[in-house]
Amino acid sequence: MHFVSGGAFQGKRKWVNAYYSLTHTPHVWHCAYEQPFSFPNGHEHATIVVLEGIEQWIREYFFPYTTREKEAIMSYMYAWERWEKEGRRTVIWIGCDISQGIVPIDAHERAWRDVVGWTYQQLARICNRVDYIWCGMHEQIK
Amino acid sequence: MIIFISGGVRSGKSSLAEQCAKKIAEAGDSLHYIATAVRTDEEMEARIIHHQQQRKYDRWQTWEQPYDLDQIIPIFSNRHIVLLDCLTNLWANELFRDERWHIEEKAPRIVQQIKKLGDQAKACIVVSNEIFYDGIPHEQGTYAYMRGLGLLHQHIVSFSDVAMLMRYGLPIVKKGRWPCGAE
Repeated sequence: MHFVSGGAFQGKRKWVNAYYSLTHTPHVWHCAYEQPFSFPNGHEHATIVVLEGIEQWIREYFFPYTTREKEAIMSYMYAWERWEKEGRRTVIWIGCDISQGIVPIDAHERAWRDVVGWTYQQLARICNRVDYIWCGMHEQIK
Repeated sequence: MIIFISGGVRSGKSSLAEQCAKKIAEAGDSLHYIATAVRTDEEMEARIIHHQQQRKYDRWQTWEQPYDLDQIIPIFSNRHIVLLDCLTNLWANELFRDERWHIEEKAPRIVQQIKKLGDQAKACIVVSNEIFYDGIPHEQGTYAYMRGLGLLHQHIVSFSDVAMLMRYGLPIVKKGRWPCGAE
């Protein structure tokens, strides 16, 4: 699996599109800003799956971000990892870095930011490649 | 030549940019400073004065141009080093100048202006800010502003000779070579 992160509006989507030549490579793209992420079943014929907007997906489906939700996040990520290993497949996760602003006063915002950071650490651990995008340029950090 | 410098608040971007300009300047070259800030309140006024005093002892010529870079581009030639400080002000002034907030029209225009500055002058140094690490904003104006600035950054870096990220006064070279693209 491949985790791609970076600040907002830095060209993460563009970079993934170019890096995997997605304009002429069959793929399935899930965008949490538009629709909830789906599960690996039903993707038997796909070889590349992109999951974009991790932070949004967490915000919408994993409130109040307790241990229970964290376990659900983890098992979801492991499900995709298993799916990838079943064939010559690639899973690409795209998540916006929201960890470098002012600590929010609002408890919900703070908890969200915290669980997103936690999720990114887990992803960085289980993915074999991690890239950080700045101004359209990538830096491979794993 | 185009040099792009970005970083957080008080990271030393402006002084790096000025240092950079002086390093590039050879005998007979002149240094030009495009100031983009609009005097809005006392804090801004103080910031402007702070920057002006820092430049006073050098040979800088200041151009106050909060928008419409086109108006001053013809002035510059290859004996001029131009410092634009900063893109974030310029973009805010241009974007919110009317009620339309039209990114697709306004951002490419600024990209072209900076490209032109870089071609015409000996060097064009662009200073900007990192404001992208707090998530995607919900408010419409902020969203338009950030998306546009992100696009500007990507485009400018794509044709920059040097791109640097400033952290705590330390330049991190992301593209090209420091100092200032010297071979």
